Amino acid sequence: MTTLTLRAVPNGHVDMTGVLPETLAGRTVDDIERQIIHLAGRPVTLGDLFEVVADESGMLAIRTDCDRLDCLGKGMSTGILRVEGPAGHYAAQTMRGGELDIQGDAGDGAANGMKGGLLRIRGNAGDWLGAALIGDRTGMAGGVVAIEGNVGDRLGDRMRRGLILVRGQAGDACGARLLAGTLVVAGGCGSLPGSGLRRGSLILGRTPASLPPSFNDSGGVELSYLGLLHRHTENFLPGLLPVSTQAHRYMGDLAFGGKGEILVLA
Amino acid sequence: MIINGVFIDDTYAEAFGMKATRIVITADNLTWAKHAANAAFGFATSVIACGCEAGIERELSPGETPDGRPGLAGLLFAVSTKELAKQLERRVGQCVLTCPTTAVFAGCDGEESLPLGKNLRYFGDGWQMSKLIKGKRYWRIPVMDGEFLAEESTGLMRSIGGGNFLVLARSRSKALAACEAAVEAISRVPGAIAPFPGGVVRSGSKIGSKYKALPASTNDAFCPTLRGATKTELSPGVDAVLEIVVDAVTDADMRVAMKAGMDAVCSIGAAGGIVRLSAGNYGGKLGQFHYRLREILA
Repeated sequence: MTTLTLRAVPNGHVDMTGVLPETLAGRTVDDIERQIIHLAGRPVTLGDLFEVVADESGMLAIRTDCDRLDCLGKGMSTGILRVEGPAGHYAAQTMRGGELDIQGDAGDGAANGMKGGLLRIRGNAGDWLGAALIGDRTGMAGGVVAIEGNVGDRLGDRMRRGLILVRGQAGDACGARLLAGTLVVAGGCGSLPGSGLRRGSLILGRTPASLPPSFNDSGGVELSYLGLLHRHTENFLPGLLPVSTQAHRYMGDLAFGGKGEILVLA
Repeated sequence: MIINGVFIDDTYAEAFGMKATRIVITADNLTWAKHAANAAFGFATSVIACGCEAGIERELSPGETPDGRPGLAGLLFAVSTKELAKQLERRVGQCVLTCPTTAVFAGCDGEESLPLGKNLRYFGDGWQMSKLIKGKRYWRIPVMDGEFLAEESTGLMRSIGGGNFLVLARSRSKALAACEAAVEAISRVPGAIAPFPGGVVRSGSKIGSKYKALPASTNDAFCPTLRGATKTELSPGVDAVLEIVVDAVTDADMRVAMKAGMDAVCSIGAAGGIVRLSAGNYGGKLGQFHYRLREILA
């Protein structure tokens, strides 16, 4: 396993773009230390900020105790990247494959434009998780995000495909403008969940305080799909979904086609 | 070769290459999964007029099914991919989609795939939803008890159909008892089914007929009532013959299933009224697979 250990808290945010298991594999310590990254917009070498230990495996560990490392796992397509500590903003941005395991909290914009792979966040995550990149029309388009803690506002905004699992709570406008895909939030959410939802599924473990007025109540349903989903989610967050396949279904957002759903688990 | 007093004819079963698929039907309980499976795999004894041959392969525990409910794995065999796709869609559409609480999933992978829920989804009249899980697409089709969940496609397998053996016995009841034991043994073999009612055939056929419209007719050489009228294959003391037809996913499955079935018959033996084991073939000119009985039982 190749390890990068942060020497000291940097005096600005660090853009970790390009520091991936696939780009460091097979390189020497000297070579890795010469790789250019950017600290607060200025080029520096990896060796300036990190102590490097290299080996041949396809696994990379980054040891950090500050939340200033941005873009961790950005564009990653294979291998395992373990962040031993918190991550900054934009983790797993445009990620296509492999596994990014953040063992602390993550900042805003995680999994923006993600297309594949697995992002695990053992702590909490910020706003706009799984949402669109700035300027893009659609958000996350594939892969799985599993969060043990809470997430901020606008979870899955404009998400197109994929699965986001949250054991804790989500903030406001959770699943807003969702195009497709599945969001599961076990701990409940803030106001306006599913606002502008077009086709996807927002699955909530607790009844929200209120729903947008453009959702209709479909009543209690029993869905074998929930059994299928339960089996799948057990691989990422065991115990997140109940074994029961009963749910209360709300259909909407009727102002945007009404083909989506909010399922509140029984 | 004689096993437990049963003479094994020096002949072979002639089998054919077929296209097959496996599907998994689940339901809230096994009873309703069986209702769906029995309907879907009913009237699927022979490709001659049923379009496909099908049967329940085995029961599945909740731990073995995609949605964690009890279910059944079933196999369908047809002579062409096109016919198999047609039969699969019709049977799932009319017998599984319609059956309360059921869902249907692919039971195999393959280089080629067959539509499963892909076209059935249109029953949802625009309200159907798709879900992509682990690279597989599923369709949620609204129905009156909730939703019918169907995987978009299932795999296509190259397989073998028409493996068979004939049980020649002193009476019909003796032949039937031996065949029941054989079918029970075959049902425990994964990858194989005996598609006829109860797994047993009484109307073994030969190719052709005196009537030009019929492609097949009764196998007079094995009919006890025709002894003395046509050239018979029945040895003295044989008063009834029943056949077991086996379809299998692979050559190895076929051999295991035929051996299991014939072993069960031989274990009943001459004391149970069994005289001979034989097999149906067409002179070796039609089927690509030949299963020599003595070789399988050796």
